[in-house]
Amino acid sequence: MTTLVEIDNVRKVYKRDAFEVPVLNGVTVNVPSGDFLALMGPSGSGKTTLLNLIAGIDRPTGGRISVDGKEISRFSETQLASWRSRHVGFIFQMYNLIPVLNAFENVELPLLLTKLSKKERREHVQAALGIVGLADRSLHYPRQLSGGQEQRVAIARAIVTDPTLLVADEPTGDLDAKNAEETLDLLQRLNAEFKKTIVMVTHDPKAALRAKRTLHLEKGLLVENVGMAASA
Amino acid sequence: MKFAKLIRRNLFRNKVRAILTMLLLAVIFFFVATLLAILDNFENFSNAGEGANRLVVQSAISLANLLPYAHEEKIRAIPGVVDTAKLQWIGAYYKEKTNFFANFAVDVDKMSTVFDDYKVDPKDLAAFAADRRGALVGKDLMTRFGWKVGDRITLKRQIFPFDPELTIRGTFVHPVQTTTLFFPMEYFQQSMGNPGQVGTFWVKVKDPKQMAAISQQIDAMFKNSDYPTETFTEKEFQSNFLSMMGNVKLLFTAVSSCAIFMVILLAAITMSMSARERVTEIAVLKAIGFEQRLVLGIMLTEFILLTVIGGALGSVGAHYLYSVVDMGKVTQGFLQNFGIHAKTLAICLASSAAVGLIAGGLPALRASNLRVVDGLRRVV
Repeated sequence: MTTLVEIDNVRKVYKRDAFEVPVLNGVTVNVPSGDFLALMGPSGSGKTTLLNLIAGIDRPTGGRISVDGKEISRFSETQLASWRSRHVGFIFQMYNLIPVLNAFENVELPLLLTKLSKKERREHVQAALGIVGLADRSLHYPRQLSGGQEQRVAIARAIVTDPTLLVADEPTGDLDAKNAEETLDLLQRLNAEFKKTIVMVTHDPKAALRAKRTLHLEKGLLVENVGMAASA
Repeated sequence: MKFAKLIRRNLFRNKVRAILTMLLLAVIFFFVATLLAILDNFENFSNAGEGANRLVVQSAISLANLLPYAHEEKIRAIPGVVDTAKLQWIGAYYKEKTNFFANFAVDVDKMSTVFDDYKVDPKDLAAFAADRRGALVGKDLMTRFGWKVGDRITLKRQIFPFDPELTIRGTFVHPVQTTTLFFPMEYFQQSMGNPGQVGTFWVKVKDPKQMAAISQQIDAMFKNSDYPTETFTEKEFQSNFLSMMGNVKLLFTAVSSCAIFMVILLAAITMSMSARERVTEIAVLKAIGFEQRLVLGIMLTEFILLTVIGGALGSVGAHYLYSVVDMGKVTQGFLQNFGIHAKTLAICLASSAAVGLIAGGLPALRASNLRVVDGLRRVV
């Protein structure tokens, strides 16, 4: 199995006024292609920061991050934005759908950055909504959907460009048990059936159990690596 | 445009706020368009005699002081002067004081030489010349009071101690002076006991390049007389006449600028609120690959659209309102041929776009520069 994400001695320090707050203190980990990785740890352990660095929405203070052979830690903001649009799908705890757009339009958003025609975009959106089981809700606005349905629309938006990597930050954190199960089922299916590499931050041990392996972070350091032997 | 739907939906995401902002802008730009149109109207008035090659000679003391007839012969003798005419502003009104309009006593025989930009049917001109109490009336004034040729009218005194009793003998057409009335100088002089004095001499000059020199020559000629003169081009004279009301242009420009400045502040508050409410959404857009410039462009387009729609509602609304409402009647003749012209509309639309750019620039820039992680962390 090829390595998709290479994280080499990554450090991250946040500046808060005159203070420097170290969040990651030299994390080294590899994520193979097709992996489903759960990041766990107490609040402030650096798991969301690590996810943000992998997704290219934050920059490390030190170390090196490569995704699919490209060292994204050296990219400019513009290069990162362009790279994210092609390679990363985001799933957030609070779904973060655009309230003024319906389900179809929300899912279509990342495709507006591509050169696809309107017809091609429609086909892609319908396929993504079909995968998450919401083809019949395409004209519904977020306020007309349940939390679980909103999260599934968000997942459709994340997969519509067929990205290399899916990053999910507490994807079940705002859902009831039933919807959380359905969301995890969907993520597992995307991993197993569509071979999507997924990195998921979670507090929930049950959710972590759905992943192929789990990394535990504490005080910005990797303390435990449980699961798939193929990991670094 | 692929992002048109996103811009449109964001524009009206808070319908009440968007509509109230647009209405505010519409009211302000209605007001601004009206002020600009009034200035435009004054400008037209000042340019009334453009191309007519006329100088106006008045007393150096003030317009209220009269000049002796004897001056006219001396002025006419200056090389380059084609002809001269006596003109006296009467300041009378018709029936009610609110029915105020421009009325003058004029040398009848000079209508075709000095005032040749007033287009009069030769029959009407002959009838006017033949009647000592005849009147020549602008088309719009005829319409305003429902007069017909042959009607007898009496004007009420206001400045001079007599009430002109006139018979309308004809009408004239002029690009600007459409509500003016002329009657014979002879009638005015006789009614006043032949004082042999008049308010202004209008001097037709052969070559417009000579106007400045002739103007100086006239004033020099009477400098040491009992009746010194001050000579203006017609445009200067009309501008001076308007300036008797004060520096209207400065006042209107200042009021318009204040109104626009106020609307910039109000729009900036609205736009800042709108941008602040969307911090997380903007972070999501940037996370999924929207570049900083694209986010900036989308937000600025939205803000400029908001102000341009408001500005268009106000200025185009004013255009249609003034094309239906006769402002000449409403203002008792003060604003003739009043309307919002293409130039004023263009100024209003450009200004409203500038308001959007200035007011929305900072909120849009701040939003577009937002770091994704900060935006996602923010709870609004």
